[in-house]
Amino acid sequence: MKASVLKAIELILSRDAELMDILGVTAEMSLQSSIFALLIGLPIGIWLGTCKFPGRNMLLVANRTLQGLPPVVCGLLFYMLFSGVGPFRHLKLLFTVKIMIMAQIVLITPIVISNMESYVASVAPAVRETAKGMGLGGFKTFWLLCNECMYQIISVYLLAFARSIAEVGAVSMVGGAIAWKTNVMTTAIMQYTNRGNFTLGIALGIILLTISLIVNVGISLLQRRLSR
Amino acid sequence: MNISSFSKTYDKTTVLNFSGMELQSGKIYAVIGAIGSGKSTFAKILAGVVKADRKGNYLDANSVGYMPQKNFAFRMSTKANILLNGRDEQRAEKLMDAIQIRHLESKRADRLSGGETARMALARLMMKHYDVAILDEPTAAMDMETTLLSEKLITEYVRESGCAMIMVTHSLQQARRIADEVLYFHKGKLLESGSKEQVLFAPVMAETKQFLEFYGL
Repeated sequence: MKASVLKAIELILSRDAELMDILGVTAEMSLQSSIFALLIGLPIGIWLGTCKFPGRNMLLVANRTLQGLPPVVCGLLFYMLFSGVGPFRHLKLLFTVKIMIMAQIVLITPIVISNMESYVASVAPAVRETAKGMGLGGFKTFWLLCNECMYQIISVYLLAFARSIAEVGAVSMVGGAIAWKTNVMTTAIMQYTNRGNFTLGIALGIILLTISLIVNVGISLLQRRLSR
Repeated sequence: MNISSFSKTYDKTTVLNFSGMELQSGKIYAVIGAIGSGKSTFAKILAGVVKADRKGNYLDANSVGYMPQKNFAFRMSTKANILLNGRDEQRAEKLMDAIQIRHLESKRADRLSGGETARMALARLMMKHYDVAILDEPTAAMDMETTLLSEKLITEYVRESGCAMIMVTHSLQQARRIADEVLYFHKGKLLESGSKEQVLFAPVMAETKQFLEFYGL
């Protein structure tokens, strides 16, 4: 065990080519999926948090349901749509990083929506009331609301990124964990462990844990700033 | 200026039924009444924050300023918060001096205490001159010293701007100190109104007498 850990550290320090490739694919997938999820989820979250309309509760329930969507079910869905018998087979996206990003977006956008909606709903009435009291217009009020949500937006992004980087079920199904192409940290750990190659698995585990630690420290620092 | 009649119903219960009145510029109207009498709903409807049963504008004033009961401090400095309601930095500094929060101008406003936030919100509202200014319990979170300081600022503001000020207050002493007119709300209705001498010291309605006696006036 100790020898494997030491060897793993050596592998990280030597910038092993395969390890670097896995890290590159992981970064591409996690960064892109979390950014797209934020771009989609943010306006929806703000809209649901500020507006009251018939059917809003239904949308919130639907979003909560999607939040609980098992990654393997999401993977299965994308597999069926893009495989040889699926309606989108001509796009030839199966076993590419693109489809992994798409599956991740479906999985993490509901998390972005839910977190933004609950925060916005908690501050929007007071922001609106105060802005109205000063006679400020709709644009200025919206700007003030966004300013109030700034730390929350960063916090939600980090949460989405953390979820994306740690996901394994959907990405292994639609990406196929192909070496030098679609293998990400989580799928590679699984793969190398099954093969009995603990060294690379441990190296990846160390990196994954370090990233997770950094992200969580970031989130907790932001939450401390957020607390009034 | 006129306030036209309106009503407000929540879940089939009418919480406010207002029959209308005239407002005079340069006067302070203290709105008093027990908890749940409709004072804050009255203020919120006039400010346009809450909609009455029938849509419309019930206050025929060109500009209306409103300071809510729960003051919100935006995540920026105290001075930046005040400057949200006007760009005149000199006026902002003068108001901060008057209400003794100048030393907090660079401090993040969302980290201020309740009393400091209330003072900041009062200064923020006073950055502009309005035809009608509505304050909902502006000094509820303040101690006696800052309450008296705020009252002085409020009376100076009314004199300077010539606005009609509607101030919801739970303090009869405060109404006695600074109001010109008093509006007594009882169970969602304006039961009695008139000069403070008349309403506070020679009330006509039995409910008003009972309320004033209960609060020791």
